[in-house]
Amino acid sequence: MNIAATDIALGARLKIRSMVHMAAEPIPFFWPMRTFIHHNPLHGLEDIPFTEAVERGAKLFHGRTFLSRKLYQKYLAEGEINQSAVVTAIQNFVGVHEQINGIDLNEWLVSLLRGVEYPITLTNTLASADHVHAALNGRDIGPIEDMVPEKIESFLCDVLLDGRPVYEIVDTLFGTDIGNELDKLVIKICLDFFDEGQSVWEMPEREQGFFTAWRGVAKRNLRFFIRGFHISRILDTAETPEGIINFVMQQFGIPQDQWIDYFTHELSRLHGWVGFIRWRSSARHYHWANQYPADLVDFMAIRLTLALALLNSRRIKHFTYTLDGLQQIIQSNTIEVYLRYELYGKTVLPEMALCMERAIQLGKREKLEVVFYEYVITKRDHEARRQAAHLDSLAMLSGNHDALMQLSAIDLSRLQNIIADFEKQEGMIWLHAMESEAIAHLLNRLTPEPDNNKSESGRPFAQAMFCIDTRSERIRRHLESVGDYQTFGIAGFFGVPVSFMEHGKGSETHLCPVIITPKNLVLEVTVTQYQDIVAITTLEKALHELKESVLAPFVTVEAIGLLFGLDMVGKTLIPQAYDRWRRHLHETRPPTRLLLDKLNRQQADSILRAVQRAVIEKAVVQEFEIEPEKITDDIIRDIRETALGRQHRADIFAHALNLDDEVTYAFISRLQSAYRINRDFSHRQIEQLGRIGFTLDEQVTYVGTALRTIGLTKNFSRFVLLVGHGSTSENNPYESALDCGACGGNHGLVSGRVLAQMANKPEVRRVLRRRHGIDIPDDAWFIPAFHNTTTDELRMHDLELIPPSHLVYIDRLKNGLVAASKLSAHERVPELTPDTSRQLSLAKAFSLAQRNSVDWSQVRPEWGLSKNAYFVIGRRSLTHELVLQGRAFLHSYDYHIDPRRRLLENILTGPLVVGQWINMEHYFSVVDNERFGSGSKVNHNVAGRFGIMTGNISDLRTGLPSQTVFKDGLPYHKPIRLITVIEAPIEHARQAIEGVVAVKKLVHNGWLRMIIIDPTTQSACLFTAGRWCKIDLPLMEEALINAELPENSSSEERSAP
Amino acid sequence: MDAVTLIPVAVFLPLFPFSVVFNALFEHFSHPLWRSAMLLGWPLIGIYLLPVDMQSLPDWITIWASVTTILYGFRLIAIRDMGLWIGFLATSAWCLLWISIHAGMSINWLYWSALGFSVPLIMLVMIAAHIETWFGAAYTGLYGGLAVTMPRLSGVLVFAMLAATATPVFPSFFIMLRNIVGSTPGIVAVMLAVWLLWTWAGAHLIQGLVVGSGAGEQVQDISKGLTWLYVLLIVVLLLLGFYIMGGRL
Repeated sequence: MNIAATDIALGARLKIRSMVHMAAEPIPFFWPMRTFIHHNPLHGLEDIPFTEAVERGAKLFHGRTFLSRKLYQKYLAEGEINQSAVVTAIQNFVGVHEQINGIDLNEWLVSLLRGVEYPITLTNTLASADHVHAALNGRDIGPIEDMVPEKIESFLCDVLLDGRPVYEIVDTLFGTDIGNELDKLVIKICLDFFDEGQSVWEMPEREQGFFTAWRGVAKRNLRFFIRGFHISRILDTAETPEGIINFVMQQFGIPQDQWIDYFTHELSRLHGWVGFIRWRSSARHYHWANQYPADLVDFMAIRLTLALALLNSRRIKHFTYTLDGLQQIIQSNTIEVYLRYELYGKTVLPEMALCMERAIQLGKREKLEVVFYEYVITKRDHEARRQAAHLDSLAMLSGNHDALMQLSAIDLSRLQNIIADFEKQEGMIWLHAMESEAIAHLLNRLTPEPDNNKSESGRPFAQAMFCIDTRSERIRRHLESVGDYQTFGIAGFFGVPVSFMEHGKGSETHLCPVIITPKNLVLEVTVTQYQDIVAITTLEKALHELKESVLAPFVTVEAIGLLFGLDMVGKTLIPQAYDRWRRHLHETRPPTRLLLDKLNRQQADSILRAVQRAVIEKAVVQEFEIEPEKITDDIIRDIRETALGRQHRADIFAHALNLDDEVTYAFISRLQSAYRINRDFSHRQIEQLGRIGFTLDEQVTYVGTALRTIGLTKNFSRFVLLVGHGSTSENNPYESALDCGACGGNHGLVSGRVLAQMANKPEVRRVLRRRHGIDIPDDAWFIPAFHNTTTDELRMHDLELIPPSHLVYIDRLKNGLVAASKLSAHERVPELTPDTSRQLSLAKAFSLAQRNSVDWSQVRPEWGLSKNAYFVIGRRSLTHELVLQGRAFLHSYDYHIDPRRRLLENILTGPLVVGQWINMEHYFSVVDNERFGSGSKVNHNVAGRFGIMTGNISDLRTGLPSQTVFKDGLPYHKPIRLITVIEAPIEHARQAIEGVVAVKKLVHNGWLRMIIIDPTTQSACLFTAGRWCKIDLPLMEEALINAELPENSSSEERSAP
Repeated sequence: MDAVTLIPVAVFLPLFPFSVVFNALFEHFSHPLWRSAMLLGWPLIGIYLLPVDMQSLPDWITIWASVTTILYGFRLIAIRDMGLWIGFLATSAWCLLWISIHAGMSINWLYWSALGFSVPLIMLVMIAAHIETWFGAAYTGLYGGLAVTMPRLSGVLVFAMLAATATPVFPSFFIMLRNIVGSTPGIVAVMLAVWLLWTWAGAHLIQGLVVGSGAGEQVQDISKGLTWLYVLLIVVLLLLGFYIMGGRL
């Protein structure tokens, strides 16, 4: 097969590109693990209702989307599921189905849900209702029908030609493992190309792009040649990835109108990698993507090339890999194809597997026919008897056995269909009932403050703004309990999207939810000189490099292996003490400040000049080995002006160093290329400098918005803490999953420092007072603080900036924070120990929490956001009396100061959407941890420094590990959709919801449960079954359940279109 | 020694193609008691039928036995039916007794060796019978996940499999080790090859039955009493292994 490279036209190429991108839409983005972003695995399906999306998602990703019935039964027994809601849902279901004589459907379905652990509807391919009826009545099931081969042919066409990739059909019919082999090959290629510095040897020519780089390597790949892949024959057919895709799809004979579905099937096999590539190709700021470009078209071209090569290498006799060819084989060889489908598709009856295997190996038509008819009869009877036995046991359970036996075959068929239909809807029934219980639990204990309550409280000792994160709920509650503290909940980036450049690092980190792109850059600068490389760091670096190189371990293990041994012993046996000792070895990080104010042109020029001068000086010292003292300002100015093209010759420089023209010119050229002292780069640097900081107006807006969002516009305390959060753990690739989601999976301290620095500025306060009427008294001081969620420690920062007048109160503040930390750890830590009932002292609990953060063997340093269930937007008074056990996102909001609903819309757009992603990530990680979660941490390995794989090769694991959501093999996180409560007048909240398209879509499509609590009328409004329903408070359970019924319209208010 | 007199022995200490007899019968009589009886009695009959002057066996018989053991070991890898698998492993293992005979081992050693190979296989037969009761056949790659659905049986299956495939410190391992000590490089190579094949095939079988997420059906695990009985047998095998090792290597 030698086909000349004939590339396709531009139009066709663009069409293929768009098809690939459309095919990938159901697959969610996957961000690098360094900044783990909680996301909804079915985010791509959020445009359709939850019920439909989970069905489609289950098919697409081959995963479960609800818990097993057995687990729901356990929750029912434990009172986590509202029993009445289940019964009512069953009644509702039965109500829309025609009754069957003598059968009490209600009783049957209740018995089914309560007493049967597994679904009783079987996938019967051969047995009909007549057969089940005969089996049920103990009659002979009868001979096999004449039409069997025709029926089988149509069945095979349905199951095999359903859009699945060609190699999957081959695997199903021949017992080959091409699909898995292909996945492994593609993963290896991805690991090579996307590596971010983990490998010692890099893939060559990565700058050329994914497909081109791979193409170059693949053509020279000896292993491919030995395995008979003949990759070159395929790659020579086209130059572009689109051309290759076109060629392979034509080879497979797939009609173009089916390409998108085909691509989706292909992409969903490795949805982790695909999600990563999808994100990466859209991340403009991502260094590695800019350096080594790749997109899904490249991925698809590589995958299809390998798929065709693998299929060609198999050379199966009398078998063509085209859709038509497959159809013909099914038609002409139905019996053999069916037997193969049963045996290799793993649906064969085990007792006939051996004889079937032998018949297929023998390949004689007569033998195959004998086995086929024997098998078909046996399987049909087996299916009929099993189905009959299941129905029989259910009838016994529901006390309706006689009625079952008296059913006609037609009625039995109807009964089977009803049960099958019910079992399809069962997941939603359980979920609704579980949510009903959770809603009732919350609503019955909320205390909406009456609107006429105008009592003014005194000035609290301190106020603290915490992130809305569920883990803040505990510490807020305890802080409020230990003294005169008032707390607020706000998204952990405090409403200021920041691109942050840490001191000593060259890359930017986005500190805001991933749905926002920050415009302003904040630089961290040191107050004192920071000694970058101290001896201990150098030693560590050297050891690390030795460990990672290919040959070093062989020659150095005896020399320095003991050092690693000591490290291991210390980390394992005495983690806390060892950690303390190691911290002593490192130099304390010097105090830093944030460069927050916008630079004017002069300042920017001055900074650029200073940087360029420093670079030039170092370059001269390095290139000409002269002492720095000999380099005068005139020389540097002369070099700089020449390099920037403002003058033609650097005479002063050449004269001072006695250089001839050639050397001088070479140096200037080098300065322009290697050291980037040139005009273009200077322009770019000036543009970059223009991004630094915020204007005064921006600062005022951010501070004002943050304060008004949470309702803090008066009665400021002497101290206002801005508490960012993050976690610390050892040997944990999922560490950033425990950090602040609102800060893009980073620690939230910097965001706190940014807002504090802005809010403490007198000019900001002055404008704030004048323009927004927010009067921050002069003695109010904003202090950034950090909440370590693993240890529960609260630590204040930038204390050296506090006015002297406040220092006398600092001890009291510190004591309050320490007390809250200890109380919070005391409440939280028992849930992390094997024996939850164990009573721990405050000190012991606090110490255990500390140990978790430094113990490298700890797979669960904290529970993170597990058990999240609620999102409450309202005043603290609404939840002040509640112990929510870290299950609620709490966002402060006072509708009185938001008459135009802008603040509420902001809360819905950012924090609520992030909360919903977190909630859905947890939901799907629990219902199918293997497919949507990431399995056990124990088998995890870091891949390319950006992802996690199970074992040495697997799809990128996108969800949460089992240790985060399971305890002792059972779900720790209770999977329900996020129950969102807004405290505001009903119309006010409804209009805000309808005004934010993304949130309206989530509410209307049932991706979260929305409740509005109206303090003016002391009533609630629940969105359910496509409409808003009013419920009076205090909540009566029946009212809630009735509200959930679709046919109930007594209190209905149609939602706005 | 007359080759014809060796034919009955070659049936009971099965050498290809006489091994077909044992495997056909083993497949035909599928009841676990029949199979257990065959596994126990078949090699003992073979040893009993051995001529008195065992030392005068021709050298080519060792080659023949080596070829047979490798052949059945190799076939094991692709076998998915556990019953057939046990029969093939038994054939491959008993062929090794010819090598022991050629190395001049005593009759008693041969009896112990036959038992050392057969007892774990009998355990596997019993376990296979239990699997067949629930699934219709003990066939790999169809349902899998026994570790989830039948954890006790899976545990016993894994240990019985380790014992049957000559894993240290079970008797079959020491029997093979004894054959290796002081033998020719050719025999050593055969032993290592067959050991590799058995291990590979054992891993395949365990992967196809024990590993996975389970069929999602309700099945009943073996009772605690029966589990303890199997554990006892495994412990006895372990002790037997140590006994065989003691002072004999």
